[in-house]
Amino acid sequence: MKLRIEAFLSSTGTKVVIALTGLALYAFLFVHLAGNMMFFAGQDKFNAYSHYLISNPLIYPVEIGLALIFVLHLVRAVGNFHKNQRARPVPYHAQVPVRHTSRKSVASTTMIYTGVLILVFVGIHLFHFKFGPELHVNDAAGQPTDVKDLHGLMVTQFSNPLMVLFYVVSMLVVGTHLWHGSWSALQSLGAGNVASTPRLVSTARIVTLVLMAGFVLVPILIFAFYRGAGGTP
Amino acid sequence: MNLDPHIPSGPLAEKWHRHQFECKLVNPANRRRYTIIIVGTGLAGAAAAAALGELGYNVLSFCIQDSPRRAHSIAAQGVINAAKNYSNDGDSIWRLFYDTIKGGDYRAREANVHRLAQVSVDIIDHCVAQGVPFAREYGGLLDNRSFGGAQVSRTFYCRGQTGQQLLLGAYQSMMCQVNRGTVKVFSRREMLDLVVAEGRARGIVVRNLTTGELECYEGHAVLLATGGYGNAWYLSTNAVNSNVTAAYRCHRRGAGFANPCFAQIHPTCIPMSGDHQSKLTLMSESLRNDGRVWVPKTQGDRRKPAEIPEAERDYFLERKYPSFGNLVPRDVASRNAKEVCDDGRGVGDSGLSVYLDFSDSIQRLGRNAIEEKYGNLFHMYQKITDENPYESPMRIYPAIHYTMGGLWVDYNLMSTIPGLHVLGEANFSDHGANRLGASALMQGLADGYFVIPTTVAHYLAGIPQARLSTDHEAFRDVSAAVQARLDRMLRISGSRTPRQFHRELGRILWDQAGMSRNEAGLKDALARIPKLREEFWQDVRVPGEANNLNQSLEYAGRVADYLEFGELIARDALERRESCGGHFREESQTPDNEAMRDDAHFQHAAVWEYTGEGKTPNFHKEPLVFENVTPTQRSYA
Amino acid sequence: MNLKLLVWRQKGPQAPGRMVEYPAPDVSPDMSFLEMLDVVNEGLIRKGEDPIAFDSDCREGICGMCSLVVNGVPHGPDRAATVCQLHMRRFHDGETIVVEPWRAAAFPVVKDLIVDRSAFDRIVAAGGYNTVKAGGAPDGNSILIPKDQAEQAMDAAQCIGCGACVAACKNASAALFVSAKVQHLASVPQGQPERYRRVRAMIAQLDREGFGSCSNEGECEAVCPKQIPIANIAAMNRDYVRAMMPGPLALALGGITEAFEDD
Repeated sequence: MKLRIEAFLSSTGTKVVIALTGLALYAFLFVHLAGNMMFFAGQDKFNAYSHYLISNPLIYPVEIGLALIFVLHLVRAVGNFHKNQRARPVPYHAQVPVRHTSRKSVASTTMIYTGVLILVFVGIHLFHFKFGPELHVNDAAGQPTDVKDLHGLMVTQFSNPLMVLFYVVSMLVVGTHLWHGSWSALQSLGAGNVASTPRLVSTARIVTLVLMAGFVLVPILIFAFYRGAGGTP
Repeated sequence: MNLDPHIPSGPLAEKWHRHQFECKLVNPANRRRYTIIIVGTGLAGAAAAAALGELGYNVLSFCIQDSPRRAHSIAAQGVINAAKNYSNDGDSIWRLFYDTIKGGDYRAREANVHRLAQVSVDIIDHCVAQGVPFAREYGGLLDNRSFGGAQVSRTFYCRGQTGQQLLLGAYQSMMCQVNRGTVKVFSRREMLDLVVAEGRARGIVVRNLTTGELECYEGHAVLLATGGYGNAWYLSTNAVNSNVTAAYRCHRRGAGFANPCFAQIHPTCIPMSGDHQSKLTLMSESLRNDGRVWVPKTQGDRRKPAEIPEAERDYFLERKYPSFGNLVPRDVASRNAKEVCDDGRGVGDSGLSVYLDFSDSIQRLGRNAIEEKYGNLFHMYQKITDENPYESPMRIYPAIHYTMGGLWVDYNLMSTIPGLHVLGEANFSDHGANRLGASALMQGLADGYFVIPTTVAHYLAGIPQARLSTDHEAFRDVSAAVQARLDRMLRISGSRTPRQFHRELGRILWDQAGMSRNEAGLKDALARIPKLREEFWQDVRVPGEANNLNQSLEYAGRVADYLEFGELIARDALERRESCGGHFREESQTPDNEAMRDDAHFQHAAVWEYTGEGKTPNFHKEPLVFENVTPTQRSYA
Repeated sequence: MNLKLLVWRQKGPQAPGRMVEYPAPDVSPDMSFLEMLDVVNEGLIRKGEDPIAFDSDCREGICGMCSLVVNGVPHGPDRAATVCQLHMRRFHDGETIVVEPWRAAAFPVVKDLIVDRSAFDRIVAAGGYNTVKAGGAPDGNSILIPKDQAEQAMDAAQCIGCGACVAACKNASAALFVSAKVQHLASVPQGQPERYRRVRAMIAQLDREGFGSCSNEGECEAVCPKQIPIANIAAMNRDYVRAMMPGPLALALGGITEAFEDD
């Protein structure tokens, strides 16, 4: 059977694309979190790891790929949202959630908004840690080398309580998105049946909670234990 | 009126195959030149549309609902018969034929019924191929159930939704033909008249229920599959839109109407709760397998059922019919329920119900066993009545369920108007005076899938291919008459609603032409119905206009036809001075109050010919000849 | 009981509509919701007003014709029931009940509470069947179907095509309706020859009708009178992926999803 272009343009196909890109981004978050955890290995190790990562020539295609996945996810989701809006031109006078077996939640009804907020957050986040002001590791002579001091940057940033708050709130937004998005992506791709879908949903949600807990802990721990320490605890 | 049934010659078992060979054929290449109009999309109509579309005819299919899938066949909870003998219990085509003839109290045609039994086996095969999810055994074979007092297990079922699944199968096959372009579906169209030109049925006039416009459609043959007329009694288990109009309008155009008084009354319905009631809900008869029917022994006993001691209860079916007990046939159970209620011993607020008590079974088998068997029925009952049948007995009362009478058809399913064929419940042919359980679904599908493709070809091959323009004066005249009638109803602007008239007619028919009938009552009905009809045409109030969606106008038109047709029911019941099947004439009963047939005088189908508005219709008989079975008197004592 | 109704009135498909208030006096708790509307309509007719147009037929929950959104929920507050099975004892004296039609671009209002659901018929016509001619079928027992497989088919086949799933969905998606038919026929051996053609054709038609896409919330399942689970939608998506992609890709995706398909 040949690949049909409508496979990616139909309503179901669109959801398949959104689900695949979403799961890819979800997978990326695990890698990202693992990297974050390296922070606690100590300044030198962390900076060496991050230097190894960003000086690797493979990073560019990977970053571009990631950006494309992100953009694709976003573009298809926004397009889908508009199409869905058009599917009900006259709203109900009074629509209430059905409850019962429904999994409608704050998360599921705000996907497009949490998605947009995540876009904003990613922009700010990239400014904080990638394209913004940098710190560099000094060599023995006290001269800055080309190795970035990401460890120091994180400590500096997260010594600011407002910054911690911002990241915690942002992670709540991301978590909300994934609370529905994680299992929804699996369902869109066809996973589950009458018996296993409930298990699928709870598994996806538990994994999401663990992931988010990890992301939230990093700024809080830095604020609690590394604040103002200029690098070493 | 020519009532030649055109029964093929030869031994009974060979008639159908012989007929199939003798029927003329239409060349496959020519079929698309023939247009066939099919009105109704229930089991018979949808099956016919699918089968004729598959053959390559140009089919126009009409339904009153918003989608063909909603025809009332969908509500059949029960099961479907087929003489497969999968259960190895001695079933055969002959036995199904015999049971059906006997169940119909020897008022059906042998040849038709035998054909029905023959094609019943093909129905199951075809439905399985369509993907109908019949219940299966663990080994993967089709499961069978015994049903309706039959001595063999020959029924097939899809949980409690057999009618739904069979109809969806037919609907899907029909939609497949829509996709192929052979069938066109016209939904939300109500047939308001038949167009007869040069002695043949050539088209229909329908009202587009969305726009209110009258539309004319022309074809080489018209197939009517519009179901039964149970709603003439106002309350029945039929869907609220089921009606007699299409069939009755054909009757007015010259189609003989056969046995209108044969209506089946179902004993286990949920009783009505008040005047607002719009329909009655049927519960499966299987409930009587484990429930005991009783009423208090004393009249007007208003105590709660639990407070009535065993000694003061009258288990009247067990008392009167010791060998069959609560499992007596539908009509016997119904009539006895009415009797005790008429005697003032009925229960419930209205006094129009009897108890169906499961407490013994719950004690014997345990609540779980009962729940497993009847859980969904108990749930439905509780939802409707707000009473818990596990704790207090159910209340049941009979209701009109199925009508065996219908437009007269010959062996080819053609009415007395050439070209007008009638299928399914709308015709009169196969069930005699009483339909056997699980036979309605079988007959609808048999007519649609297997009988009509042969017989309609035979008809089409014998007529000219020429089309008729819908500008032809036959169409113009009929269309103008229909419009005039609609306008007249709108102009009356009286004080009573169509529903009030319908309810009143229903009451007359239920009282005088319901479960038990007598001469005085029927004469009374014959006097009152024309009066009511007159009042209708002077005092009905139909709001709105004819040129848009107007449900009151739709309803008023149907009620107007019931008001004429109700008279025909009473007249036919009066004429048939015997008891048979669903028709119980009090004058014709055995010393122990059982129905007594009179084969010497009434072994015929009574066929009525329309003679004009308000005029007495002409009465004709099609004698029924039994060459293969010997009519016997039923006995359940 | 005395109630107030707030009902959507709209003269025709093009006419503007609005919510209109009607008193519903002397309502018996034993009435069904539709019988209550019948009684209100009788009053309107006697006053010479246009009665409220609404669809209904079997009035026992199987034909799928009735289609009212009651107080913001399609088919009203009872679960596993159509609005014709809803009884007035569910409401209390003095309550105001809001009654609206199904809302979806693919289900245009015809009049008042009546909508046009012919989109569903066109979706079925696109592929919701087994192509079999009458008369050519083998014996019904010639292909064995395991009991649980037949039950699974029946679970999906129960759909009454009422469209409540569309009405409840925030995207007016018809995914549950389509998936029920796809899954019914995919569950029996007789449905296999057209299995992938069917899912592709039905989804293509679904999109042409202007329904939204599925957000996997499950409001549809919750209002469904037959409680058809959204796991059917997953099964449909699975078949769609297999139908639309070249072998290795479908296999890879199928492999991923089937890993979660334990039973």
